[in-house]
Amino acid sequence: MKVSYFETGRYVLPPDMSREWPVPPASYDPETGTEAFRGMVDRVKFVETLGFDWVSLSEHHYSPRILTPSPVVSATWLAARVDTIKIALLGPIVPVSNPIRVAEELAMLDTLAPGRIVVGLLRGTTNEYLSYDLNPKEARERTDEGMELILKAWTEPQPFGWQGRHFQYRTVSIWPRPQCQPHPPTYALGTSAEAGEFAARNRLGLGVSYGTFELMAKATRHYREQCVRYGWEPGPDDIIYRANMILAETDDAAEDALARRDRQAAFPVRPALRDALLAADARNVAGERRPANVGGVLPISFCGGPDRVVEQLRRCREEIGAGVVDLSLQDPGAGGTDAMMHALELFGRKVLPRIREI
Amino acid sequence: MAFSEGFVEADGFRIRFMAAGQGTPLVHLHGAGGMRLTPAHDLLSRRYRVIVFEMPGFGQSPENTRTRTMVELAVTMRAAIAALGIGQFNLMGTSFGGKVALWLAARQPEQVQTLILEAPAAIRPAGSRPPSGTPEEIARRIYAHPERLGPLPAVDPSVQAKTRALVERLRGPDRDPALETEMRELATPTLVLFGTLDRVIPPDMGRCYKALLPNCHLVLVDDAGHAISTDRPEAFTDVTTDYIERHEAFVISRTETLIHP
Repeated sequence: MKVSYFETGRYVLPPDMSREWPVPPASYDPETGTEAFRGMVDRVKFVETLGFDWVSLSEHHYSPRILTPSPVVSATWLAARVDTIKIALLGPIVPVSNPIRVAEELAMLDTLAPGRIVVGLLRGTTNEYLSYDLNPKEARERTDEGMELILKAWTEPQPFGWQGRHFQYRTVSIWPRPQCQPHPPTYALGTSAEAGEFAARNRLGLGVSYGTFELMAKATRHYREQCVRYGWEPGPDDIIYRANMILAETDDAAEDALARRDRQAAFPVRPALRDALLAADARNVAGERRPANVGGVLPISFCGGPDRVVEQLRRCREEIGAGVVDLSLQDPGAGGTDAMMHALELFGRKVLPRIREI
Repeated sequence: MAFSEGFVEADGFRIRFMAAGQGTPLVHLHGAGGMRLTPAHDLLSRRYRVIVFEMPGFGQSPENTRTRTMVELAVTMRAAIAALGIGQFNLMGTSFGGKVALWLAARQPEQVQTLILEAPAAIRPAGSRPPSGTPEEIARRIYAHPERLGPLPAVDPSVQAKTRALVERLRGPDRDPALETEMRELATPTLVLFGTLDRVIPPDMGRCYKALLPNCHLVLVDDAGHAISTDRPEAFTDVTTDYIERHEAFVISRTETLIHP
């Protein structure tokens, strides 16, 4: 199994900050922000020495919970400062982006850090509809078309026009092309039937996140079935599972930490807005309709001492089929990082060596 | 949509109004320059029963020496609205009228479904002065692009004089602690609009409303001056209508980007 560390730009929150999304920029403290990004490098260097395979980055907006609105900027910052660890952008939110710009920036990044960039393309969480004025009704279609266009921009050797439903370009001809041919390792991120089908058709990996093993297994099973339909079989590295983990020296200590965990969402949207967003959003797992998560608390998928966590990771590998786990060892937006650094160290020492052969 | 003139007796005044349209009432209280119909009124009247009042002492009405404070004016306007048989309504206030609207909503929150404040003058930078001078000078302060507008209406000096005295008496301090205390408690969904080229009230004042009002959205209208609804009537109407219809859920986009099916 490969292991990825999910870096969220740990902004240490003052106790009196507004906890409503969007958070007023007036609350932002520049020094704390600088420290969050300086710490990002320290944390990633640390997990690199521990033997982590990837660092993953995401795109979130308008709050300090995850302080990385631009995964490309985060990745570029890290790529120049760490040496071997792969940098996974999981990833640009496609429906709110200019797909040509995404293709260009990722190709540039892939050239700046050859062989070290991993790409995940996704529709994004429901909040993000608000950040860049995305009509929820168009989110799915714009994602599918945008991903298609990014792949074509990377791979088509001749200038071409794109006559889409939501995007139209009369000439596309990007420079640089990606260093990795035909393109960097790329995943469709999501549990939906559409994401699974798209990934299978384009021979991409699939990234799923946060759901139970049973539910995520349903999504990856669908993906594998689609791959068979398209005449290929994904390998272990083709499935990523992003999840939260509470790791402690003993099972009891981890259970205590779980009991102490704040069950309030870090930055919820107002109830009336949350309800409107839920009504506007339609999500599915492998075709089965599921409610969206609008600013809710994400579950803990792994919890225990090293032995128990190893066993849980083994189950994850068997049930979901994930060959890459992308881990958060402390809730984003949960304050200082000392406990997380301790958990990472413990993971590197007592868990990581035992899951390589899983 | 043609607006028709009407009069209503309220609080001892005979108050003129212009009305058009059907549906949910949308009451508008004008700025210190007096009542003036704009293309936005026309657009809004396609969806709402729009009632634009001429507040006592402005325009054609007799000089108003009786009203002493903004609160009194708000009470008078509330009486005028009631005299038209209107229970619940959406309330729009422009500049000076925005301050009246805030006082009205603070006193009658259960009746005001939505509050729309167009370049409100309830919070002003210290020492701020209302526009004055020739019609051309006033137009240059009020509109982003006065050259794009038609000929300016002639100004009757007697109207200007009586209005100026009234506005001076009522406009109150640049920061009004009593009103701001009320604003902190005002839960009415409120949309505050400022034009990016407002040369009367700096659009930065918008952030004060956002900080004070518990249920407020601030929208900056690009390339509009103080008279947003004249400078950018379609944009003003679109966001206003969307807010009245959906309140805070108006942040969820309905913009369609489909080019071809």
